[in-house]
Amino acid sequence: MSEKKAPFFVGYMGVPKALKSFLLKVSLLLFAGFTAGAVLAGASQDDPGQAGFRFDYGRQTLTGVLEANPYPLLYVTQGNDRVKAGHTMMLSGQGKTPIMANLAALEGNEVEISGVILKRGELDMLQVAGGKKGIKDLSKEGTIPASEPLGKWKLQGEICDGKCLAGAMNPGRGLAHKACANLCLLADIPPVFVSSQPVEGKEFLLVADPDGGPFPREMYNYVGQFLELETEIERRGDLLVLRIDPDKIKAIE
Amino acid sequence: MSVKYISVQWNSNKWKYNAIMLASVFTYLWIFIFVTPDIMSNEGRINGQVHNARAFGSCAFLMLSVILCIGPLARLDKRFLPLLYNRRHFGVMTMFVGITHAGYILNWYFAFSPSNKYEALLFSNTSYGQLSGFPFEVFGILALFCLTILAATSHDFWLKFLTPRIWKRIHYLIYAAYISVVAHVSLGILQDQQNHAFTVLFIVSALVVAVLHLLAAIHERKHGDPFPNNSDNWVEVCDVSELREGFAKITQLTQKERVAVFMHEGKLSAISNACAHQNGPLGEGKIIRCLVTCPWHGFQYDVTNGSSPAPFTEKVPTYNLKLEGSSVLVDRNANAPGTFVEPLVLQTTGAAT
Ligand code: HEM
Ligand code: FES
Repeated sequence: MSEKKAPFFVGYMGVPKALKSFLLKVSLLLFAGFTAGAVLAGASQDDPGQAGFRFDYGRQTLTGVLEANPYPLLYVTQGNDRVKAGHTMMLSGQGKTPIMANLAALEGNEVEISGVILKRGELDMLQVAGGKKGIKDLSKEGTIPASEPLGKWKLQGEICDGKCLAGAMNPGRGLAHKACANLCLLADIPPVFVSSQPVEGKEFLLVADPDGGPFPREMYNYVGQFLELETEIERRGDLLVLRIDPDKIKAIE
Repeated sequence: MSVKYISVQWNSNKWKYNAIMLASVFTYLWIFIFVTPDIMSNEGRINGQVHNARAFGSCAFLMLSVILCIGPLARLDKRFLPLLYNRRHFGVMTMFVGITHAGYILNWYFAFSPSNKYEALLFSNTSYGQLSGFPFEVFGILALFCLTILAATSHDFWLKFLTPRIWKRIHYLIYAAYISVVAHVSLGILQDQQNHAFTVLFIVSALVVAVLHLLAAIHERKHGDPFPNNSDNWVEVCDVSELREGFAKITQLTQKERVAVFMHEGKLSAISNACAHQNGPLGEGKIIRCLVTCPWHGFQYDVTNGSSPAPFTEKVPTYNLKLEGSSVLVDRNANAPGTFVEPLVLQTTGAAT
């Protein structure tokens, strides 16, 4: 115990010589450890991939037919250089602000919508501008394209919020991001299934409930997990929609 | 020592200690935040807010690991004792780094919504019934809560106000904080990574903390004196020949109570082993200019009456001693703190006076 030869240190007195070099070594080791840790942890973060807001496209204005079920969609009838007619564009409000209440009354009408595009590869979404500029009702009834059933599929993949996934946030998927994704989904942002094998050439599918309605609250537990599911798939415009069945879904490692 | 609660004063050692800590922490954050984005060969950029949150979160974890290593290291090798001294400042720093981490997260993942971000943090993920997808953020909140209590009560005023025993107990919350952070990371980012470099750093750090605690416990068991289990009031401490001028022998009296028997000017005196400041091990200290000096923060006591010299007011209990042959025995019933006990004179024959 106390009779060890170790030099004795009292805080307010000088540090004994023999301890000085020991403490210097410990300090250097601590400093080196923190330096190495920073390089190791900082430089090894996963690549979130190329995605983001396309402010470089400038504000986009599209005309099309609006559908509000299960999520806000625009069937583009008059496109431009960036977005072609026939495309089904998913819509979201600013940030995590719900827009369904503003849109529901316009379901089936022709509208002019303007905002900024988010894009990750084939996946895109339009963040509708705020105020009157965002949505203009053209007071004309349009035709929503008929849905084309593609039958039953067995898939593996992950349910994300389509907006963060499309680049609103990087990283914008996964379990560390789950709470954020849930908060988006609560704000009418379309949930998107990222399939590990393409379905009819598409990797990203909109998620609806078994009756084609919005993604049910009880299913939020599955967001961000790697899943295996059996599902009916349909095509609406050029968008694939997956009807999620609570009985035919399971999380896998 | 203290007049009222102003005890351990600022001095050059404290400044050096803090300077080394700050240099390490700033270098960590600087490299992580400003240097590593250019080292990574990623195709896409991680948002600044998430990158910064990761820098501060991982830094707070490393800091907490270092803090927790100091205790067992000092028990295994006394040369580490100076690190124990003033460790509190490091703890307060950790809280601020942790808060900054949480701030970046709150103002990013939980912002941009009409909901209040603090409420959103609590309601947006409620998958408490599953491990994968568990709202790991709650463990972060819990850890931050513990760190805040520790930082808020870190000043010596609280030590005095709450009494060292209760203060020490509260400060075991550091273990709750560490375990929470381990859960926070294990259920969070570790579930979600392709590159496992951080995972390795994390597991190695946590293992070092655990193994050092285990080694220190084994060391105490081997070298700490076993419980004397005789029902007699007199407990054997050691042989006279084992004592050295200016130093002590420590003996366990009960589960919580230890006595330190000092030799000073050839005479023996016994005081409680627990310093009135923060329960530091007085018996591991030494007598400097006639006063027992605590190895932790240098509080001093007169070995004959367990009292700090005026103007200080700290007192520890004293114990009565006797000799039987060449064995030193201590009365397990302590005297009230500050009670004077005539030092036991050793005669050349080894018999008691
Ligand atoms: C209100 C409190 C807290 C919240 C809401 C919170 C939230 C989070 C979130 C969401 C992540 C995942 C970030 C990502 O996407 O990479 C994370 C990671 C992490 N957190 Fe916290 N946290 C909190 C407190 C703490 C505290 C007090 C510590 C440590 C003392 C801590 C240590 C870490 C570490 C080490 C990581 C992993 C870093 C990495 O991603 O590389 N957190 N936290
Ligand atoms: S001086 Fe702080 S515990 Fe003894």
